[in-house]
Amino acid sequence: MMLLALLVIPLSGAALSWRAVGRRATALHTVTAVLTLMGALAVAVTVNRGEPLVAFDGFLRADALSAWMIALIGIVAALAASEAPRYVAHTAPGRFYPLFHLFVFTMLLAVSTDDVGLMWVAVEGTTLASVFLVNFERTRASLEASYKYLLICSVGIAIAFLGTVLVYFAGIEQFGDEVHDLRWTTLLLLAPGLSPRVIELAFVFLVVGYGTKAGLAPMHTWLPDAHSEAPAPVSALMSGVLLSVGVYAILRFKPVVDAAARPGFARGILLALGVLSVAVAAAFLWTSPNYKRMLAYSSVEHIGLVCLGLGFGGALGTAGALLHVANHALAKSIGFLLSGRIRAAYGSAEIAAVGGLMRQMPQTGTAFLAAMLALIGLPPFGLFVSEVMIFGAGFAQGFRAVAGVALVLLVIAFAGLLHGVHAILYGPPVREPAVEVSGWRPALPVAAALALLLLTGLAWPPGLGDALDRIVAIVLP
Amino acid sequence: MTTAANLLAFLGLVITLLIVWRQSWPARLRLFVAQSLLLAALASTVGVLAQRRGLLLVAAVVVVVKGLIIPRVLARIGAGTAVRPVAPGRSSGITLLVAGGLVVAAYVIMLPVTSAAELPTGRAIPLAFAMALIGLALCVTGRDALGHILGFLVFENGIFGLAILATYGLPGIVEAGVFLDVLVIVLIMEAVVVQVRREHDSIDVDRLRELRG
Repeated sequence: MMLLALLVIPLSGAALSWRAVGRRATALHTVTAVLTLMGALAVAVTVNRGEPLVAFDGFLRADALSAWMIALIGIVAALAASEAPRYVAHTAPGRFYPLFHLFVFTMLLAVSTDDVGLMWVAVEGTTLASVFLVNFERTRASLEASYKYLLICSVGIAIAFLGTVLVYFAGIEQFGDEVHDLRWTTLLLLAPGLSPRVIELAFVFLVVGYGTKAGLAPMHTWLPDAHSEAPAPVSALMSGVLLSVGVYAILRFKPVVDAAARPGFARGILLALGVLSVAVAAAFLWTSPNYKRMLAYSSVEHIGLVCLGLGFGGALGTAGALLHVANHALAKSIGFLLSGRIRAAYGSAEIAAVGGLMRQMPQTGTAFLAAMLALIGLPPFGLFVSEVMIFGAGFAQGFRAVAGVALVLLVIAFAGLLHGVHAILYGPPVREPAVEVSGWRPALPVAAALALLLLTGLAWPPGLGDALDRIVAIVLP
Repeated sequence: MTTAANLLAFLGLVITLLIVWRQSWPARLRLFVAQSLLLAALASTVGVLAQRRGLLLVAAVVVVVKGLIIPRVLARIGAGTAVRPVAPGRSSGITLLVAGGLVVAAYVIMLPVTSAAELPTGRAIPLAFAMALIGLALCVTGRDALGHILGFLVFENGIFGLAILATYGLPGIVEAGVFLDVLVIVLIMEAVVVQVRREHDSIDVDRLRELRG
């Protein structure tokens, strides 16, 4: 019931606000976002206290892995939602709120179903719900970005469909028609008997397909455009959790492939894509002239790191990867929210145009610096801990060469990001910004996310370690 | 059953090759309609022979969505587009040759599936996959929005054909999701194309070149 309620909240919020205008729309938006957050946290706590939540004969199901993603989606959606009224005040609201909540709904649905097919439908839905949000400002650049986004992600998701079909095929081939409604729970039980070569082929399609949504290089080409052209709250959602939903889909298939295919097959693919993503990001972080694109390439890098953690595997690597997903979601979403405020004040997303930010907008500048230091992976923030876990797993599992190369690339990427951040904060001032948004209200979401990052970096709250252990038990049965 | 399914999948591939060969837009659109109707025929053949009633419904939806609605939207998008002369240096002979190479590649890639398949329709799977691969190539090399959409739709037809041949019909929610997906993508594409046309007086997406680096 609780799971169903969680899905109904954003869906009905979207439906109700479809025709709402003015204050009523803002109020509906706020209520929906708050309820979604509360529902998500309630589901997460319930699942981690007891058994997985199941509804509709197992059609909807949330285990610890789902609960982790649900909590993240709830938190990031709340952060992004808090910024939305400020963004909408600058433009015509149009269908911003309904599409926003529809987008959140599709992501929640993707991670809270036990059905392989329904997950595919929901992931496809994320693209359809968000494409108009990317083109919300209707400029030439945002039009181009949304076109690329729709085309590339549709092709990607069709390839993932092909992979899903082959998984069905392998199941039917081996076990007949009773596996027709394919569930993760049944698939995992059947996995050892599935044809290894068919499953391997299916996994390649699934990784390419869902990897496109996850923004893994070389399928990442839509990402910098869509992330930089979308309104800031949408960029925060896309970068913070949409990419992770793609990773989640791959992660769901990994135990099946590990059980069915040759040992190390999934690992090889994940490591290769992980290193490539970090390498691509390292190159483009140095050359990007636009700070929103810079943040977007930083997402490619962090998703690459998550992939590396999953590839290195073991309890440490898997837990590190999942923790990194959460840390990145928090740090990147406030990074994008702040970039939206900077863009609104200066009217430009070029790094060169916003030089001297620290002096001209001290509050925003300081918050931006903190978010970027977190993204660079410095202690005391959580990304430092999760990166240590990922690379610790790499060396412990004997992948010295891969971990070493990735570490060098990581340093290059971080230097690139730092270089850009320095130019933004302390570069020569070119323009005079509009008045800075100040006060406690805009500072609240940023402070909340930074506080959570300090928690994951310094002192894990009770239950976090248990939650990660439960996820590891799901991914490495 | 094997023969019928094989024949239909083979005809689907032939139509795909014709789409590669023909350069004029209305001809390509007609070929796409023919291909979609063949797909419906494939679905109903497999449905009758494997006694899957669901597939007959799927066939009916294919006829409505891909045989009627989508072609209508595509015709609306394409109205007023000049027939494009063959671009210099890209004769359709060479593209046909590439398409032939993709057919071979499809057989190689699908070897694990065909060798595992005990289904009577297993032999036709590489044919459907070849359709998908050629569609993907058309989509990637398309020079305007229409080329991209058409390539995507052929790609999608191939994958859909493969799904029918390999599984005799997926659960209803997935089938519904696939149709909704294609339909919404085409409609969104239309909206995008309308906007591109307004901004650039052309649907040549090569003009979308602002985002770099």
